[in-house]
Amino acid sequence: MTTSAIPEGVKRCSGSQFILWLLPAFLVLLMAAYAMFRVWGFGLNQTNMNDAYGFALWIWADLAVIALGGGAFFSGFLAYIIGVKQVKNIINFAVVLGLVCYSMALLLLGLDVGQPLRGWYIFWHANIHSMLTEVAFCLTIYLGVLIVEFIPVILENPKIQRIRFFHHLSHNMHEIMAVFAATGVFLSFFHQGSLGGVPGVLYGRPFAFREGIFIWPWTFFLFTWSAAAVGPLFTATMCRLTEIITGKRLVKDEVYQLLAKISGWMLLTYIIAKTMDTIYWAAVTAPSAGFSLMSFYTNNPLYGIWMLVAEIAICGFLPALILITRKGRENRKLLFAAAILAIIGLCINRWAMVLQTLAAPLKPFDEWFMYSPAWTEVITTIMPVAVGIIVISLAYRYLPMFPQEKELNP
Amino acid sequence: MQNVPSHTKARHFGMVIDVDKCTGCASCMVACYSENNVSFRDEESAKMLSLNWITVYKLTNGKPFPDTEVCYLPQPCMQCDGKEFGKPPCVSVCPAVATDFDWPTGIVSQIYTRCFGCRYCMAACPYHARQFNWWDPVWPADMEKYLSPNVSARTRGVVEKCTFCYHRFQLARQKAYHEGRSEDIKEEEYQTACTQACPSGAITFGDLDNPEHEVYKLKQDRYAFRLLERLNTNPSVYYISKRKWVHRMADNYLEGEVPRAFAEKEA
Amino acid sequence: MKIDRRCFLSLAGGLVVGHLLSPVPWKMTDDIAIWTQNWPWTPVPEDGPVSWKETVCTLCPGGCGVKVRTIKDRVVKIEGKEDHPVNRGSLCPLGYASIQYLYGPSRVKTPMKRTGERGDGEFEPIGWDEAITEVNRKLAALRENGKSHKAACIAGDDRGTVPYLFKRFLEAYGSPNFIRTPSGRDAHETAAYLAQGKTALNVGFDLENATYILSFGCGLLDGCGAPGYQFAAYSRFGEDHTLVQVESRLSNTAARAGKWLPAKPGTESALALGMASVIIDKGLYDRNFIDNHAFGFEDFTDDNGNMHMGFRSLAAEYRPDKVAEITGLDARQIESVAVEFARSDKPVALCGYYESRITADIDKTLAVHALNALVGNINQAGGMFVFPEPEYDLPAVSKDSIASDATGKPRADLAGSGQYPQSRYLLNLLPERILEAGNDDLPVEALLVLDANPVYTLEDSKKVQEAFEKIPFIVSFSSFMDETAKMADIILPDHHFLEGYRDVPAPDGVGMPVVSLSEPVVDPQYDTRNAGDTIIDIAQEMGGDIGKSFPWDDYGDFLEKALSDRYQDMSSNGYVVNRDRVADVADAFETDSGKYEFHPIRRHTPNNGDTEKLPGYREVGIPGGNLNNGVTLVAYKSPRIASGAVANPPFMTKTIDSKTLKEDKLFIQINPETAGNLNLKQGDKAVIETPAGTATVRIDLFEGIMPGLAAMPAGLGHTAYSRFIAGKGVNVNALLRAVPDPAYGMNTAWGIRAQLKKA
Repeated sequence: MTTSAIPEGVKRCSGSQFILWLLPAFLVLLMAAYAMFRVWGFGLNQTNMNDAYGFALWIWADLAVIALGGGAFFSGFLAYIIGVKQVKNIINFAVVLGLVCYSMALLLLGLDVGQPLRGWYIFWHANIHSMLTEVAFCLTIYLGVLIVEFIPVILENPKIQRIRFFHHLSHNMHEIMAVFAATGVFLSFFHQGSLGGVPGVLYGRPFAFREGIFIWPWTFFLFTWSAAAVGPLFTATMCRLTEIITGKRLVKDEVYQLLAKISGWMLLTYIIAKTMDTIYWAAVTAPSAGFSLMSFYTNNPLYGIWMLVAEIAICGFLPALILITRKGRENRKLLFAAAILAIIGLCINRWAMVLQTLAAPLKPFDEWFMYSPAWTEVITTIMPVAVGIIVISLAYRYLPMFPQEKELNP
Repeated sequence: MQNVPSHTKARHFGMVIDVDKCTGCASCMVACYSENNVSFRDEESAKMLSLNWITVYKLTNGKPFPDTEVCYLPQPCMQCDGKEFGKPPCVSVCPAVATDFDWPTGIVSQIYTRCFGCRYCMAACPYHARQFNWWDPVWPADMEKYLSPNVSARTRGVVEKCTFCYHRFQLARQKAYHEGRSEDIKEEEYQTACTQACPSGAITFGDLDNPEHEVYKLKQDRYAFRLLERLNTNPSVYYISKRKWVHRMADNYLEGEVPRAFAEKEA
Repeated sequence: MKIDRRCFLSLAGGLVVGHLLSPVPWKMTDDIAIWTQNWPWTPVPEDGPVSWKETVCTLCPGGCGVKVRTIKDRVVKIEGKEDHPVNRGSLCPLGYASIQYLYGPSRVKTPMKRTGERGDGEFEPIGWDEAITEVNRKLAALRENGKSHKAACIAGDDRGTVPYLFKRFLEAYGSPNFIRTPSGRDAHETAAYLAQGKTALNVGFDLENATYILSFGCGLLDGCGAPGYQFAAYSRFGEDHTLVQVESRLSNTAARAGKWLPAKPGTESALALGMASVIIDKGLYDRNFIDNHAFGFEDFTDDNGNMHMGFRSLAAEYRPDKVAEITGLDARQIESVAVEFARSDKPVALCGYYESRITADIDKTLAVHALNALVGNINQAGGMFVFPEPEYDLPAVSKDSIASDATGKPRADLAGSGQYPQSRYLLNLLPERILEAGNDDLPVEALLVLDANPVYTLEDSKKVQEAFEKIPFIVSFSSFMDETAKMADIILPDHHFLEGYRDVPAPDGVGMPVVSLSEPVVDPQYDTRNAGDTIIDIAQEMGGDIGKSFPWDDYGDFLEKALSDRYQDMSSNGYVVNRDRVADVADAFETDSGKYEFHPIRRHTPNNGDTEKLPGYREVGIPGGNLNNGVTLVAYKSPRIASGAVANPPFMTKTIDSKTLKEDKLFIQINPETAGNLNLKQGDKAVIETPAGTATVRIDLFEGIMPGLAAMPAGLGHTAYSRFIAGKGVNVNALLRAVPDPAYGMNTAWGIRAQLKKA
């Protein structure tokens, strides 16, 4: 009897249905591959970036995706270091999601640099003072950690388990996973932070610039904190989405609620800190360079004060308050509505820190620099979604991702 | 000060531009293209895709006819000293040390072969003084013949910027060395191409710390100012204008704030 | 040993892991990075011995001395020559960019023969011998048919040895039709002829020494005239210098001027006379000059007993308050500027040259000359200078009967005819004359074009194009594939100025009798020849008396003989300044009275009216005057746009800001007030329609332009040259139309009425 590739005791759809489901994602991937070919082949003139927008959609996507992928590190932190057992029920999924997010972030970075073939200079000729160097090192190493964390999950595929070597390897790796998780958490703390440092240290850009402690601007801590807060919410939301798509319960509500509770408090503390940061920036930092708060939110077609209201109030305080209340958490719809708001808030924050930073005119005779991405940028930015669909589908189909699945779907 | 090689005389090159004198003719821009092998394309009207190491901006006071005034502001790389001396906003962010602050001259360098095009320095620069090579440079017909061997041509995917014609400094230093003058480079021996090209004599260049140089005096002019000074970038490029509105155009002021040069006067 | 799947996979895996552990991937990564630093398609400029050579730029009539940096046999940089008397180190962007014309896609690289329809720009390369034979065949046939006077030459200048050779050729060949392109010189020449009695002269202004410059619309800092000369003067301005700019638009010159007088366009003569009235009233004029060297200042009676009005009486009609009404200026300001002008150490008033729109307003020019005469600064340091054109001591032209017969024949452009007896060249009238004529009665049947691009630079370009299509045979001597060369049957390409010899007479408006020598700094890059050599070859191949009139080995030989004793100085210094060619004020005037004639007796007036002879304010009718609710389109000069015969090189186009040119659309400047009336906003696309043509433009709101005007930069909208300039923007000349002066035939229209509508 041949072993099925599908994990024992769970039901999966037919192969043809599975392929049909993946088809659109593959189409997106194909288009993205073509866009990548254009960009790598002909250069960044294939995008709509320009000298005002040296950083554009991709860097935003990077920042957003890494923050959201932060669910992996924070879940890992909770599961392996704090020892919150419930979280282990979703940790495999978080790792897969994190892996997708991080590998895509790295790919986008590779696409974004003008000379990808010597992109490794960032390691070889590293400038230790650059936040980007810190990002590159932490990101790459953490991606390695994620892969290591993911390997045992792969090894649990029944077909692979048949091979003795892999069977033992898988077992042994589980034993030492806590070490890797700890490393990952440590690295993540720094790279999430250094991503915040990327805009925060730009003292020539008063919109982004923040004071801070030692070499780290406040954004360093805000980015880490926000990623830790929203990352698990993203993991939970994606997990719930998987449930909706597969029509199966995969994780118990209590897991979601626990994550939501932790995230809620994290989010609340984050958004309070963010508010304080914003007030200090608007009252002290920016005026010292001659800018009023509103000078960053007027005279342009997009960036109004609504950005700040949306980010802090609607997508910050509101979801935080929902999530810290038991009633809010126990209402599944409300929980995920809050989670989605929080995710949007995080994306707005990253957008502002990257794109609004560059859009705001500094010389009084400059006008706002507006930009709309080219198709090559849009499709490659959607690519992580397509890759996510494919990888998660494969993982869900062939790997024992959800320990509670059997129990929930008898 | 760290990093200062002891055998080299420390200079601090800078520029003073008389805005009231500049006519906006763009000779400086063209001379710079020619001196520094700056490439060009058939479509150059999208200025944020166009390579210009020095750009001459048109400023207007916005008053209705006939009280309108126009001034031109030539803007090269400001060769900032940085908030902390030696740390311009663009230098510390470069992940691969492709740009550096040259202590003996105060000039911010750019190593094209080291740069891998992450453009972080461009995001860091508030002046848009740095530009990216979005395209491969192409010199049509046999225009490659006019390229100067003193400045390397850039490739696609790297950032470039004004170097204060650093190669001219090197040539002047070489000449001085050969003539046994070692470090003694005369003021007129090292001038940037744009300074020389300005047909109105609006640009002055030299060692900002050398009392014998013209710029030393000019930078202390009562009406001297720097662009976006309040960001603490500490540019090595100064401007002079007697017009208050030009000072207002060069930096950001909150309501009620008055440019420094006019503050005492009004107080 | 049997290789099963497992074994194969292990082997493959082993290979991969093995390679990864070996230095190979690292070495390859490094090699690839090194490759990116040395992409074979990125040029590595060759090094070599450096030398600096000196010559003179001739891309515009400015005649700046330049020094050229060469590496081996390559020109890599051009800079201004510090010790050249014209530009004293200053150089305009066109000069700096001129290396892009030495090399580059716009050059005509060999003689060309038209293969396609005229104007299609389809040519095939031919040899020099074949090309010259072809030209001679056509010219000889025309001559044999007794139509030698139907040959013509359009040239950018009539001074200098190369234009001289072309004039000489036409003389020997038998045609009176040497035609200079319209320029600021037309009006100055005429005014100086009328007031000072001189012909064939240069009028210049000594900006180098002047302390108070009163400019009636001269784009001194906008790249008009001799930019290097003007910049050199401006760069040395101190606290004691004043520049006053009269102009309806805040040009770069106006922006840098100490005072800007935004007078309504076309009212400059009234303003000049108004200032004269103040100066006379307050007794601030130069009594010595008026008493000893002036005629017609006071009213006078001629030999026949007729009373004539003098300048004093004329000026009295232009009181500041009346002038304020005409010009839209403030009367007190007019008065104060007039007083400052008259009281200043070395005042000079100038107009005409360097205007972006070349008009020949004789009244304005006479009035401005009169201001200079009033303060007695004619042929004085810091004043207005008049000196003769260079002359050459050469053997007379040997004329056969055809050539002799042609002497009295009327010119194709009507210059010197009964209608316009005192005009020398009227190229602006030629296109209409050609279009009106039947195909068998064309005024021009063979045309040589030298240093000119009339198809682009003349107003009403569409008509000019049509006229050129009718000319049976056109020969261009252009170095570049310009609009006129594109219309030619044969192109005999001249050298770039860095490749050949050429004498360069005093540039337009330069207040000193300087002649420079342009010398080759590199070998010719292509199969081109000096136009002087080519015309000598053509003449010699024609033989007979024509050949005999050209007894020189080549252009070099001729140049040496023509410049005779000046040649040595010129070739060692690069220039000579013949100060002795400037007459002392006592001998300066060759009028009947021997004085400066404030009342120009000899002025040709159609009705021969007395007051018409005096300069006065007469409203100039501009085309489309009956258009209501429109704007008046005027051209403006930008120093970043070459608007003459030579188009913008790529470097200059690169400097144009995005509120002047965006993609291929040109911006037209209008006052926000005008825009409000027309419901237009910044950046809007709009259609401008004039009696001459229609174009799509974008709107740029500029407070510094007089409401009601719409200003468009000259120099864009080329259709020839290369993709770096062709198709960018609109040629303003295609929207303009000339209005001939009734007595002098030159264009007087400073603008054109237009409808501007949102597109």
